[in-house]
Amino acid sequence: MSALLGSAADIANTILATEVSGDDGGGLFWLLVSGPASAVTTYMMIYRYYRNTDKSHSFERETAIESQPITGSDNKVDERNGTTDTSIPGDNREDHRARVRRLP
Amino acid sequence: MSDTDPTSFGAEQLGNEPVVETPEDLAEALGADPNAPKTIDTENKRLDDGVNRCPKCASTDIQLRPSTGMLVCLFCRHEWSEERVEERIAGNGSLQDLKGTHIASGATAINTEAAGVLTLKCAGCGSEVIVNIDETTSARCHWCRHVLSVNEQVPNGAVPDAVLPFSLTHDQALAAIKQFAGKRKLFAHRKFKQEFAPENVVGVYLPYMIIDSNASADVVGKGEIETRRYTRGTGDNKTTYYDADVYDVARHVDFTVDDLIIESSADRANMNTFVNTNNVINTILPFDTKNAVEWNANYLVGFTSEKRDQDTDAVQPVLEHQLLSIARSEVMLSTRAYDRGVRWETERLDVHGTRWVSMYLPVWLYSYYHVSNGKPMVHYIAVNGRTGETMGSVPVSHPRLLFAALTIGTFVETIALAILWATI
Repeated sequence: MSALLGSAADIANTILATEVSGDDGGGLFWLLVSGPASAVTTYMMIYRYYRNTDKSHSFERETAIESQPITGSDNKVDERNGTTDTSIPGDNREDHRARVRRLP
Repeated sequence: MSDTDPTSFGAEQLGNEPVVETPEDLAEALGADPNAPKTIDTENKRLDDGVNRCPKCASTDIQLRPSTGMLVCLFCRHEWSEERVEERIAGNGSLQDLKGTHIASGATAINTEAAGVLTLKCAGCGSEVIVNIDETTSARCHWCRHVLSVNEQVPNGAVPDAVLPFSLTHDQALAAIKQFAGKRKLFAHRKFKQEFAPENVVGVYLPYMIIDSNASADVVGKGEIETRRYTRGTGDNKTTYYDADVYDVARHVDFTVDDLIIESSADRANMNTFVNTNNVINTILPFDTKNAVEWNANYLVGFTSEKRDQDTDAVQPVLEHQLLSIARSEVMLSTRAYDRGVRWETERLDVHGTRWVSMYLPVWLYSYYHVSNGKPMVHYIAVNGRTGETMGSVPVSHPRLLFAALTIGTFVETIALAILWATI
């Protein structure tokens, strides 16, 4: 229960740190949804802690692997200017288990 | 004197005859398929089916003593262990030299036609005892009380190449399960708490394939490096824009993997968390498989076991998925320069060599059958029988969980409205 109250306090602090003004439509929206959002987050966090549905063996790190030096190439092919995306679309660099098209 | 190049002498003399230098060449010369899987014999030749006696006093009452990981004679208390299999299977060769498919004899294809029962002749009294090898690998002679065990590798998947004995005692497993469940009392389902009986934890040997691999992988995709970041607009309508260089990125990695552990029971390999909790058993991997010993049915006395029902062909897609995941993990650091990320689009895997060993691994398992909204599910709390790593699934009380979530949500929303009220 103390963990729950801690997470509630964290969320409250985040809200207090948010600068709100009457003209700020985005800030108002986030302020209003913060209650339902924290309820959903709390539910999911506790559910995962009890059921551990997201857990599996980390074979990428927990197995003895020996790699030779990585080789490869990097060629500039294009420029992307004026985008509002904070990262490349479809970034899967850290999602090692998401399979992409397999070449024979 | 001939003008022939002296270095070509041998070839000229042999004409079109193949040069036999390696076992593969020899196999080809004999007309055998050089790519056919090679078998490594792992049968424990010292033991036969039937009566296996204590080497000191000849008693057959033998079982594992988990606190030492050794077999103990219940009559004279002599303790001993079977030989480690690692040296016999892997030898001294480097995994980088592993070529082709090598399958240990206990991991070869399961014959579904194989008889489910075996008749053993008791060496103590001469009577015949029938053992249901689909369910057990030892039985007691009902006449003279000798323990009879099955040690030959019957092609029904019941006898693996090796076994990793329990080294965690029942009491240690009990403590681990109590601690795990104790931390999850508040929102646990009421019935789970009422019926919680951790002393019912059972030691189970679960079947796995232990696979060594020598492979190469290629991944190709796009990467972006930020070149400029700027903001446009004023007041509350500010937007951040990014300029980036786009690259074609390709990476190649040659790698070896030692003792990858994959489930070889179809039931355990199914990890759909909507219908089962097998993922928690998967989470307690890995095991110190290098310490596995030659098969002896006495290691299973007092424990239960699950039979292997998956061949190498069935496990191969899982192996390839894991090798590709490892390759992607290995190349990740080499793409650090792409600060806006990398999108891998294609991947290729070349498996040069694999070595397959079937093994029983020790798991302490507490299971709880629970029906929620008409949907039955078995919740496991599993303890690694060697390392003590514990993971589990505890059924939750949804009304209590909902109440807690709504309380937190209401608390946060009240603060939010208070802030809003103060700023208007």
